[in-house]
Amino acid sequence: MVDLLFYVAAGVSVLCALGVVVSANPVQSVMMLLGSFVGIALIYLLAGFQFLAAIQILVYGGAIMVLFLFVVMLLNQGDPVVLAREQGVLRKEQLAVGLAVAGSALAVLLVAVVRTDLPRPIFGYLWPEGGLDPLLGMAQAMFGPYVLAFEGASVLLLATAVGVMTLAKRQRSTPVAAANEEVSA
Amino acid sequence: MNVPTEHLLILSAILFAIGMGGFLLRRNMIVVLMSIELMLNAANLAFLAGARQHSAQAGHWVAEGPVMVTFVIAVAAVEAAVGLALVIAFYRRKQTVSLDRLSPTGATSKAN
Repeated sequence: MVDLLFYVAAGVSVLCALGVVVSANPVQSVMMLLGSFVGIALIYLLAGFQFLAAIQILVYGGAIMVLFLFVVMLLNQGDPVVLAREQGVLRKEQLAVGLAVAGSALAVLLVAVVRTDLPRPIFGYLWPEGGLDPLLGMAQAMFGPYVLAFEGASVLLLATAVGVMTLAKRQRSTPVAAANEEVSA
Repeated sequence: MNVPTEHLLILSAILFAIGMGGFLLRRNMIVVLMSIELMLNAANLAFLAGARQHSAQAGHWVAEGPVMVTFVIAVAAVEAAVGLALVIAFYRRKQTVSLDRLSPTGATSKAN
């Protein structure tokens, strides 16, 4: 029963991922991406990573999706007139090369997975009896051996906040003058 | 859930390939960024499949996979923010988000 739920979630996430790539309207793409993320979150939940499922919904389904939707709507990308203007012509050879590269990546990955002989332990737990709670172990690892990486991530987030504000700031004068201002500041 | 790790990895491979196809084939910068998010998600799924396999074999939770996934999610958020800021900056200059209008030098292209 639970296994069946995994295959349903997997199918939903794959179909939604295809929808992201195929649909012409970026608003539809964002919605499809949301569906894909929710399907993956369900798989995390089924595999016993409850905290990561919550993070997946909160950060991906909440923050990142809102950011994408906000930009799509800010730039008026859902508008049919804009869509018709933006629609680039994809040449046949471009399509062929793109599909060939993605297809060969898929083939290499699938062959690697199928040819690897993994042992089959019993996975039949959702919440393990005894043993270390996954969240507790994760917290101990993150604030133990990986504390430097954790602090690095926070520095990265701060740098991003500053960088994004600089990038998205409306330029008051010509680009060259603005660049000179930034250099002198 | 008693699904073998291979099936998780196959799902991860399919999602990664779809994301790669979108990254290579789409012209809309926003959709390209979304495809990158899809690929990062596929990588996360592979990390968790590995963590699950190791945990089941070792008999206790191996925390490295989930920790790595947390870092990947943080980096994905950063990447989305920076990428979308770049898209907005590009849109201000060219009034479009099509990658066809992106010139290698960054100069305003005369061809269009």
